[in-house]
Amino acid sequence: MLKKILPNDLYDLLKTKVNFNCINEIRMRVNKPVVLAIGGQHIFLGENGVTANVKDAIRVSKIAIEDIIFRASECSIYSVNDQIRKGFIVTDSGVRIGLGGDLIEEKGTIKTMTNFTSLNIRIPHQVKNCSLPAFDYLITNEKIHNTLIISPPGAGKTTFLRDFIWQLSERNFAYNILVLDERGELDMGSQDVLGNFADKIAFASKKVGFENGIRSLSPNLIVTDELGTREDVDAVQSAINSGVSILASVHSDSIESFCQKENFDTLLKQRVFQRFVLLSMRNGPGTIEGIYNENFSRLRL
Amino acid sequence: MKILLIAMLCGIALFIGYKISKKYKNRYIFFQSMVMLCQKFDVEMNYSKERIKNIIINLDEKHKKNLFGIDANYISFLNQESPLNEDSLFKNIQFLKQDEKNVLFMFFKSLGRSDLDSQSKEIKNNLSRFEGYCKDTEAEHKKYSALSIKLGIVASLFIIILFI
Repeated sequence: MLKKILPNDLYDLLKTKVNFNCINEIRMRVNKPVVLAIGGQHIFLGENGVTANVKDAIRVSKIAIEDIIFRASECSIYSVNDQIRKGFIVTDSGVRIGLGGDLIEEKGTIKTMTNFTSLNIRIPHQVKNCSLPAFDYLITNEKIHNTLIISPPGAGKTTFLRDFIWQLSERNFAYNILVLDERGELDMGSQDVLGNFADKIAFASKKVGFENGIRSLSPNLIVTDELGTREDVDAVQSAINSGVSILASVHSDSIESFCQKENFDTLLKQRVFQRFVLLSMRNGPGTIEGIYNENFSRLRL
Repeated sequence: MKILLIAMLCGIALFIGYKISKKYKNRYIFFQSMVMLCQKFDVEMNYSKERIKNIIINLDEKHKKNLFGIDANYISFLNQESPLNEDSLFKNIQFLKQDEKNVLFMFFKSLGRSDLDSQSKEIKNNLSRFEGYCKDTEAEHKKYSALSIKLGIVASLFIIILFI
């Protein structure tokens, strides 16, 4: 997954000295220590594996960072410039690389990003059965409730969604699922990850993806990651009015702070979502803190 | 013995003539294919943002053959199998001049490093440069290819007359 994008020496080091399956993120900054996020903890990467001592940490050059971006774009930066403008690149295996650097604006629009100074390589995981504790609460009489997964960044929203889709397929729930994958990371580059009943529309905005998907693929359930803008919320509202169930996620660290988010007031007033699953990093990414109904009454935990 | 020697010398003269002619022809068809490659880059990048590797791989066999391995050498760099330098890029290509090598090297080095507008401009600049090379090498080819073969034949006839 990372062999194609990382410099050989760094890849070999990670492969031989660190367990790849444990790593959630690799953070690189020009001439600064390489930091790994493992199970919610941040630790340095040294010549002999992970280290707590910053002096032993290896550092990456600006050239190495630019080379990683070049490789991640399959040596074709222009082909991922739309993503770079939004601050990330997603590789064909679903690895999302967040970018730091100088944004170039022209006539009020972002043209591209140059002078890259930092990277956050997020490694997707398929954690089988991570959604199981919540599964039965999200489906009643074979009907999927409109559900929102609430979690802070890096706490396992996407992994939860990925597993939930997989669980539906495993149980032969013959729902037509539309996966609207705005960043192309849900399927980790393989349709197999999403099971037998999922169609995918990638790299489209929620508005366009929902409209096209409902019209052309007639889904029973739409799964999408990271709702945020008013436009996203309107797209959800419109899909629900069309009789499609929604499973989506949103960034927030608690039910209280979620309720104060702008843009969601109408959805909350109308009780559009019947289930809320709160995730945290308390016991590592994917910890289910609680499952709530439309009145925010706790159903579990 | 004498006939054998004459035949050998004639053969050498003809071979040298043929090789010189071939060199001019190769230079011409090489730059013709580079022009084609640039046009393909421009169209495919602007139309579908297709990746460089796929564009090169999907080039038709005739033009691939006429690139004399520069495409395979570049793909080998894209696959991280070799570094990108003049030695690796122009492996097995002897007919290019140093200034042409410099231009080609800079062209391949800049591929895929910028956004679509800049990349497209860069390709168009290089395209006009390769078209210039193409015209020059075509003129050279027309002028010297036939001439070298003819000179080879004349030289071999001269050898025959000299020995008889």
